[in-house]
Amino acid sequence: MDAIAEYHTRHESHLPDVALRLRDFVAEHLHSQPHVDAITARAKDPDSFAEKATRKDEHGGTKYSSPLTDIQDQLGVRVVVLYTDDVEPVADVIKRYFGGIEHTPRVPESEWSFGYFGYHMVLPVPGDVIPQSVDRDLVPAFFELQVKTLFQHAWSEANHDLGYKAIHELSDHDQRCLAYAAAQAWGADLMFAQLSSGLS
Amino acid sequence: MIEGIHSFLVHPAKHEEQQPEIGGTTILDAGSLRTMLQRIFDKAPSECTIDIVFRPDTDGRPSNPCRDLLLTYAQDPSIQNGRALAVCLQKVTTHRSGLGLLFLMKGTIGNKHTVVVSRFPADQGVVAEENQDQLSVEFIERIFMKSSKAYKSVFYSSDSFQGGFWVGRAIDRQISGPQEISNYWIREFLQSELKTTGPAGTKRLANALRDALRASRDLATKQELVSAATLMRSRDGTSQSTNQLLDKLGMTEQARVTVESVFPRKELMDEVFTFDREEFDRQVLYRSVELDNGAMLLAEDARFEEVFQPEELLESRSIRFTTQGHIVNEDLRKKR
Repeated sequence: MDAIAEYHTRHESHLPDVALRLRDFVAEHLHSQPHVDAITARAKDPDSFAEKATRKDEHGGTKYSSPLTDIQDQLGVRVVVLYTDDVEPVADVIKRYFGGIEHTPRVPESEWSFGYFGYHMVLPVPGDVIPQSVDRDLVPAFFELQVKTLFQHAWSEANHDLGYKAIHELSDHDQRCLAYAAAQAWGADLMFAQLSSGLS
Repeated sequence: MIEGIHSFLVHPAKHEEQQPEIGGTTILDAGSLRTMLQRIFDKAPSECTIDIVFRPDTDGRPSNPCRDLLLTYAQDPSIQNGRALAVCLQKVTTHRSGLGLLFLMKGTIGNKHTVVVSRFPADQGVVAEENQDQLSVEFIERIFMKSSKAYKSVFYSSDSFQGGFWVGRAIDRQISGPQEISNYWIREFLQSELKTTGPAGTKRLANALRDALRASRDLATKQELVSAATLMRSRDGTSQSTNQLLDKLGMTEQARVTVESVFPRKELMDEVFTFDREEFDRQVLYRSVELDNGAMLLAEDARFEEVFQPEELLESRSIRFTTQGHIVNEDLRKKR
C-alpha cells in the first residue's frame, strides 16, 4: 500500500482519536499554567497529507522519500496563550515532560518583513496517548506542537484559510496586505505584553 | 541482512589533547566472529530495551553531530566513516571505562536500514589449549566480552535517512549505576537522552500509584503501595523502568498487578526513565489515613510518620497515632 493510501487508512482507523488524547494529555500538563487560552489538536487531513507527500524539492525531486516517517506534523497540537511572555514558560513545561528534537521560535527571516510567528516543537508521541488496541507502529513517532499568542493564532488561521480559498497566486499587493495584518498582530502582541507587564 | 561490519580499538582519551590513532578493520563475511556479530545484529531489536532520542542543538534546532555521523555511516558503511564515530567515542571515554572494542554493523531488517553499534570493554583472561598430553595456558591482556556488565549497544532502524534515525534503543548494563558511567554512553557519546523524560516517567508512575490505591479494595495491598511510595524517594536520580523499580522494592505480585492494571499501556512499565524526587513529591504530596473510629489523618507523605507517630497496639490489634502542634486552621467540609 502506498504512503497516501496507508495514511488514509490510519486516519480512518485511529489518528483523530490519538490527536484528541494528545490534546488532553498536553492540557493535563499545562493545567496550572496561567494565561493558556486554548489547546487544540488535529490529525492532518488526508488530502493535506497527500499534497505534502507529493511535494517537490528545489531540484524537482521528491521532497519526502518516506512520507509516513518524514512528515512530522501528521499529529499537531496548538497551545494558544494570551501574551508573548507566556510562550516560553509553556514551552519550558512541555520540554520538561516531552523532551523533543526541535524547539525553535519561528520568525520571518528578515527584521523588515512580517508574516508567520510562533514557537515550534517536534516531540515524541508518548505511549500514554495510544490506546492499547492500536499498534504503536501505526502511529507517527513524532508530533508537532506550536505555542502561539492569540494574535499569532488569529493571523495564522486566517492566512491558512485564504491559502485554501485562493484561485490564483497571491499578488505583491495581496502579500503586502498579509504582511500588514501580521505586523498589526505583532504590534498588538507588543502592546498587550507591555500592558500586562506594567499592570501586574 | 548485514551489508558491512567494521571494528575499531577505542582508547580512553577524554580530555587528552593528543588523541591516539584509532586502528580499524573490516570484518569479513565468514568465520565465527562474523557469526557472533550476526547474532548480535539479529537480536538487537529484542535485547536493546532503553528508548533514547538524539538531542537537538543548543539553539533547539533538529541537528545532532552524532546522528549525522551515524547517517553517514549508514548510507556508506566504510572504515573511514566508521572511524569518525570511533573518534567521538574515544573523546568521551575515561580511564575508568578503559579500552574498548567498537563494532559497527550496517544492514537491513525488513525494509528498514539498520545500524547496530556495540562496545565490548577490555578484560583480562587466560587462554587454555589442550593437545594430546599437554596443556598450555597463556595470560591475555586484551579480551573483549559481550557478557561483561560494562557491555553497551545501541540499535537504530528506519525506512528513512531523512526523518528517521532520531530514536534508538540501547543496552547499558550500567545505566542504574553511578551517573558518570551511565552518562558516558547515552548522553556523551550518543548525544542523546532517555526518550521518556525523568519528570514524565515519574509523573506516570506517581499517577499509577494513586490510581492503584483507589482501585484496590485490599488493605494490605494499599499499605504496600503506600510503603513503596515512601521507599521510592530514595531512588532520586537513578535510571530504571517501573518494572525494575518495583522489583528492587520487592513488590508482591498482587500489588504489581494492581499497578499494571492502571498503567495506560502495559509496555510503558518497561520504559526507562530517571526517577525525579521533586516531581514525585509534586504528584504524591499528601498521604491520608482513615481509621474505623472516623478519624481522617492528612499530612505530607514524606513526613507522615514524623507528623503522626504510629504505635501498634497488639492487644486490640489496632494502631494509635500521636501528634502534637499548635492549631493554625480549622475547617468544616461537605465532603471528605
